[in-house]
Amino acid sequence: MGAGREVSISLDGVRDKNLMQLKKLNLALFPVRYNDKYYDDALASGEFTKLAYFSDICVGAIACRLEKKEGGGQFRVYIMTLGVLAPYRGLGIGTKLLNHVLDLCSKENFSEVYLHVQTNNEDAINFYKKFGFEITETIQNYYTNITPPDCYVLTKYTVQSTSKK
Amino acid sequence: MGASLPPKEANLFKLIVKSYETKQYKKGLKAADAILKKFPDHGETLSMKGLTLNCMDRKSEAYELVRQGLKSDLKSHVCWHVYGLLYRSDREYREAIKCYRNALKIDPDNIEILRDLSLLQAQMRDLTGFVETRQQLLTLKPNHRMNWIGFSVAHHLNSNASKAVEILEAYEGTLEDDYPPDNERCEHGEMLLYKISLLEECRFLERALEELRKKESKIVDKLAFKEQEVSLLVKLGHLEEGEALYRTLLSMNPDNYRYYEGLQKCVGLYLEDGQYSHEQIDQLDSLYKTLALQYKWSSAVKRIPLDFLQGDKFREAADNYIRPLLTKGVPSLFSDLSSLYNHPGKADILEQLILELEHSIRMSCQYPGRVEKEPPSTLMWTLFLLAQHYDRRGQYEIALSKIDEAIEHTPTVIDLYSVKSRILKHAGDLVAAAAFADEARCMDLADRYVNSECVKRMLQADQVTLAEKTAVLFTKDGDQHNNLHDMQCMWYELASGESYFRQGDLGRALKKFLAVEKHYADITEDQFDFHSYCLRKMTLRTYVEMLKFQDQLHSHAYFHKAAAGAIRCYIKLHDSPPKSTTDEDENMSKLLPSQKKKMRQKQRKAERAKKEAEEKNEELSASGASKSGKRHVKPVDPDPNGEKLLQVEDPLSEATKYLKLLQKNSPDSLETHLLSFELYTRKQKILLAFQAVKQLLRLDAEHPDSHRCLIKFFHKVGSINAPVTDSEKLIWSVLEAERPYISQLHEKSLFEANNSFLEKHKDSLMHQAAFAEILNILDSDRKSEAVKFIEESTNNIVPRNGALGPIREWKLKDCIAVHKLLGTVLADQDAALRWKVRCAEYFPYSTYFEGSHSSASPNSVFNQLRKNSENESSNHSGGSQNVSSIKSNGKLEAFKDLNI
Repeated sequence: MGAGREVSISLDGVRDKNLMQLKKLNLALFPVRYNDKYYDDALASGEFTKLAYFSDICVGAIACRLEKKEGGGQFRVYIMTLGVLAPYRGLGIGTKLLNHVLDLCSKENFSEVYLHVQTNNEDAINFYKKFGFEITETIQNYYTNITPPDCYVLTKYTVQSTSKK
Repeated sequence: MGASLPPKEANLFKLIVKSYETKQYKKGLKAADAILKKFPDHGETLSMKGLTLNCMDRKSEAYELVRQGLKSDLKSHVCWHVYGLLYRSDREYREAIKCYRNALKIDPDNIEILRDLSLLQAQMRDLTGFVETRQQLLTLKPNHRMNWIGFSVAHHLNSNASKAVEILEAYEGTLEDDYPPDNERCEHGEMLLYKISLLEECRFLERALEELRKKESKIVDKLAFKEQEVSLLVKLGHLEEGEALYRTLLSMNPDNYRYYEGLQKCVGLYLEDGQYSHEQIDQLDSLYKTLALQYKWSSAVKRIPLDFLQGDKFREAADNYIRPLLTKGVPSLFSDLSSLYNHPGKADILEQLILELEHSIRMSCQYPGRVEKEPPSTLMWTLFLLAQHYDRRGQYEIALSKIDEAIEHTPTVIDLYSVKSRILKHAGDLVAAAAFADEARCMDLADRYVNSECVKRMLQADQVTLAEKTAVLFTKDGDQHNNLHDMQCMWYELASGESYFRQGDLGRALKKFLAVEKHYADITEDQFDFHSYCLRKMTLRTYVEMLKFQDQLHSHAYFHKAAAGAIRCYIKLHDSPPKSTTDEDENMSKLLPSQKKKMRQKQRKAERAKKEAEEKNEELSASGASKSGKRHVKPVDPDPNGEKLLQVEDPLSEATKYLKLLQKNSPDSLETHLLSFELYTRKQKILLAFQAVKQLLRLDAEHPDSHRCLIKFFHKVGSINAPVTDSEKLIWSVLEAERPYISQLHEKSLFEANNSFLEKHKDSLMHQAAFAEILNILDSDRKSEAVKFIEESTNNIVPRNGALGPIREWKLKDCIAVHKLLGTVLADQDAALRWKVRCAEYFPYSTYFEGSHSSASPNSVFNQLRKNSENESSNHSGGSQNVSSIKSNGKLEAFKDLNI
């Protein structure tokens, strides 16, 4: 004890068997109930959806959907949710989750990652800007029952795919 | 063998034997048929053919052939041997032994038959026979190691350990000095350790120690060597040497509690009851402080002092013990500490201590007096510990608020839901308990433990079908919950049996209880293979230990529960037999003609369906068996719902079978004799019932049930007419002679005895209830007095300083029993209702009393939540929405979301 207080943070995939962990997190983090499609997409995204464990306790998650770009075999990554339980924020867990996805994108040569964020959510916008995301679009009345109802699209373009190795 | 045959057939006969040994049954069968074509009456061939068919699941043909074979050749030891093998395969060991003995009359020195016989004798614990057979084997083949060892073990089992030692030493005398060769060092070492344990058993301690040290180099198991040595040293009183050796052992494994205990014994600081003097406590304290410096990673060395320390020192040690475990997050911390709640005063200290930790972490994220920040999870684990603490103290309301706060803090920790489920169970809400156990289960579908826990809670809440479906998630695909039976999953069968019993489904209940009984028979059976295996492998100490375990097998708690459950079913079956067909006809006559017609049609349909199903089953099993002889066909359970079990002629005599096992194996359990009393009263066996009463008085004369039985018995006996027959007179004279020796009744009327019982236990609800019940039995005119008496009892606060918190005395299960007493035995519905209302106050979470916080009440939090979640999920079936943002201390992290 004493000095060595750093607790290890590890990531684990989402499977049928532990899907409930993601559901519990979302229930605590977001005011929405996600439908089955959300969870199907998350499971289908494979490595792009991860749970974060703080000394064996599941405390956060990133969930993505892989989308086919129009006219082509290329994928882009849409971050559906990223969140960490309140008591466990400020420990670098969100950063670790996002970095994981960004690293994976460059490994897989996926050039585009994007997400939606409510226009007044400055903390979030600043957070993503640190990672090279930019506001690429504003959608009016994106949300139905929260104010403001508008959202930004934040996008990060990664490696210009010189696709063939 | 096959001697009477011409050479060609003799060879074929050898082939049959060989095919049997190598399990090539079809080949064997062909050869047998070839011989029988020429010599249809050849006895040995007939026998061998039978034996082969037995292995192909063709039992009845097998018996027929083997018997026919024996008839044709009564003088053949082969035929007798085969007959014995056949019986053995059906576990008819006594018959098998007879057959072997006949075979040996014909061929007394047949080693194979002798060996088979000895195995059966060991299995049946025919110990003198076992010694004899083993002696014969040794005489015939003295150059086999196994025969020496077998002879020695036989004597040991037959309570002659010193003879067993002599035999082993004689065996050693036959060995060369450089024995054993490298590949037999383990076996030889085991043999030596066995011999030394025999010497110890004979109390030849000096010799044992000397022998042990002399053979040290030949003993491979060094740990067993040291443990044996230290045990001898302590028994011989060489405490200093013992202490040194225990310290060596501790350096090898500093978490072995037995080593610490041994060390304490060696330094004169060990008391069985743990009631140490102040001085002793100080000495122990400093002993463990030194040990703790030596064994930094041991948790035992930190935990043990909590048992003997008191007051402030206990507080300090507990504080030091708990803190790092909360930081680390050890879910089992509470069960680690739970034994301390039985020590006076410690529960209060722990409460204070944990509350201080909680407060400090809440305020500053630090433990009191520390500067390091605790990780965020520490608060959650502290709340988790507190919830269990309050649960243990019976303060369910606070326990639930703590666990809810923990869940709010970190909703992803499964243990939190399990504990919430447990608290609700203790508080009396079994339905909500099952629901939360299910929630825990859903959070990790790959965890068998949470699955099993959930199944158990469901069964406790009488949700049997759901429980079955849940349990089956972890059985092998396809064979559903039969698989639970095959895996001898006894907790499941017991819980399921109890649930069926509560629901009045006696057939299914019996089915489950008897299944458990069957498992115990199988476990007894399972030792069979070890009689030969262990002798060969020389694991003799373990073997003998296993045999001793088997001799005690039926005293195991699960068996006790199953047998008691079965007996209760049979008693209930006796008291209210299933409706006979005439009753049904009576019911029918009350119906309108059109209803009758419908009902008959329905019945006919059901019967037809049943018949078809049965035919199908038969077909299936028949085709399965004939196709490939060897393939194992799953037998179809002909009575899956236990309906046939209900049709026993005499339920009480069935019950007696199980009662006898309980009397033999659990003679010190009150329940055994309560059941015995119930059973023999119904069978009108007065003296046996009286014996049960005497046993109850011996075990716990002050128990309310003992009192009930005692007075009921003499009341009943007193109401029977004067004895007429000789046997009645005899019974009377026995009771006459015995009564003066029962102190409770000495020179007292039954009324007086009842009063003085109450006098002794004025403050206990259950004793009061027993008093009232008996009062009503002795004089039914005083029923209202009895009811009033119960209603006037008061529910006081429990005395402090114990495990419980500031709660009221009465226990939920006692109050339920009293409610049943009022409602059924005393049959006063108004009083029962008043009691229920009163208890609903005491037990707001109890579904039985429909307390306001229980799931039985429509306004309970539990049902509110249910409704909400149903509404919510329907709301969100499609649409798009929103977001949330959350910030944190300085840095940010977050959220967001989107539409789908």
